[in-house]
Amino acid sequence: MKICAFTKTYEGRCVLELPDMELECGKIYAVIGANGSGKSTMARILAGTIRPDQKCMVTEAGAEIGYMPQKSFPFQMSVIKNLLVACGDTNENREKAAHYIKELELEGLANEKAHRLSGGETARMAIARVMMENCRMLILDEPTAAMDIKSTLTAEALIKEYRDRTGACVVLVTHSLAQALRISDNTLFLCEGKLCEFGKSEDVIRRPQKEETRRFIEFYGV
Amino acid sequence: MKTALTQAIQLILSGNEQLAGIINVTLQMSLASSLMALLFGVPFGAFLAMASFRGKKILIVLNRTLTGLPPVVCGLLCYMLFCGVGPLRMLSLLYTVKGMIIAQIILITPIIAANVETFLAGLTGEIRETAKGLRLGVMKTFFLTMNECKYQIVSTYLFGFSRAIAEVGAVSMVGGAIAYKTNVMTTAIMNYTNMGNFTLGVALGIILLGMSLILNAGVYFIQARVGR
Repeated sequence: MKICAFTKTYEGRCVLELPDMELECGKIYAVIGANGSGKSTMARILAGTIRPDQKCMVTEAGAEIGYMPQKSFPFQMSVIKNLLVACGDTNENREKAAHYIKELELEGLANEKAHRLSGGETARMAIARVMMENCRMLILDEPTAAMDIKSTLTAEALIKEYRDRTGACVVLVTHSLAQALRISDNTLFLCEGKLCEFGKSEDVIRRPQKEETRRFIEFYGV
Repeated sequence: MKTALTQAIQLILSGNEQLAGIINVTLQMSLASSLMALLFGVPFGAFLAMASFRGKKILIVLNRTLTGLPPVVCGLLCYMLFCGVGPLRMLSLLYTVKGMIIAQIILITPIIAANVETFLAGLTGEIRETAKGLRLGVMKTFFLTMNECKYQIVSTYLFGFSRAIAEVGAVSMVGGAIAYKTNVMTTAIMNYTNMGNFTLGVALGIILLGMSLILNAGVYFIQARVGR
C-alpha cells in the first residue's frame, strides 16, 4: 500500500509531515509517539476523514480502508445491529458477528442498546464492528485504550487473526510500547509531527537508533 | 372570577358548539403548521449540522436569528403578501386557515431547524468519522444520524406544536379572527375578553393551559428517557 508524502497544518503550524512510504499487506504497523506527535492526525489522514494540505487522498485510489477512531460512536441500536450496520444482515455476517461477540465477551449484551454500554464494552463492540468487513488497510486508533488487560489481549489476538485471514495492512496507533512489541511487525515512531524512526518493532523499541526514540523509550519504558 | 371559572368549567363539560368549533380550527391549524414545519425544518437543520459549504456559518446565524422573528412582524409580512394589492393576492389566502398555516410555518420552521442543528452539531463529527471508518454511504450516514435524534425530533415537534397553539400575533393578522372560520383559541380569548365574555375566555384558557401542560409533560418525559 503506497502512501504519498503529505503535510498537515493547523492555524499556520505544521503538525505532521510524512515522507512517501510503502506499507506491506499482511503486516501490522504500530504508530507510537508522545501526545501531540501527530499519531491520530496521521490515522485520520490515512482513513480520509480529514484532508492533508495537499487536498488529496494519500492512499491508493479505490483502496478499501477500515478505520476505528479514538472515539467510536455507538449507534442507538442493539450491539448486534451495530456490528451488522456496514456489512448487512445476512446469515454469514450474523455468524461472524456471533464469533466476535463471543470472543469479546459481549454475549449478554448482544441485544442491548449500544449507547448504554460502558466505555470498555463500547470499545470492544467498536473493534468488532470495524473488523466485520474485509479491508485492504485497517486503521485502529488506540483501540484498546478503554479495555482491561484481558479484553486487550483478546482484542490483540483478534487483530492478528484479522491480519492473517484478510492479508490486510493494519495500522495500529498505540500508547503502549508493550502492545507494539506484542503484536506489531513494524513500528513508526513520530516525534513532533515527523517520522523519526521506522523499522522492525524489535529494532525500533529495543535498539532505537535515533536519540529522540531512545529518550522516548527510556521515559515510557516497555 | 370564581363565577367565571365555574361557568367556564360548566361550558367545557356541556360540549358547547362554539367552543368545539374554535378548538377544531385551532387543532387543524396547529397540527398542519407544526407537521409542515417539521418536514421542512428537520432536513434543513440536519443539512446545516452535517454539510460543509461556504457560507454555512452565515446561514446558521440567519436561521437562529429567524427563531426570534416577532410573530406580528411575520403576520405583517404575510398580510402584505396576501392582501388585495399584494403579489400573492391571486392565491386568496388572506383571512383563511391556509394563510394562518403558512404564517405559522414561517415562524416555527427556523425553531425546529435550529433545535435539530444544535443537537446534531454535537454529534455529527463523531458520527461522520465513525461512518466513514465503516465505509458507509452518504444516505446511510444520514439515516443513522436521523435515528440518533429521533427522540429529539419528537420533542422538537411537541415544542413546535405548543408554539403553534399558543401563537396569537401572526394568526390574528392573517386570519382576522373571524367567528366560525378563522377564530382560534388565542384570538378568541382576546376577542371575548375584550367583549366582556369572560366565561368563554376562561374556558379556552383552561383548555389551552391543559394542552400546554400535556405537551410539556410529553417533552419532559421524552428528554428524560433519552438522557442524552
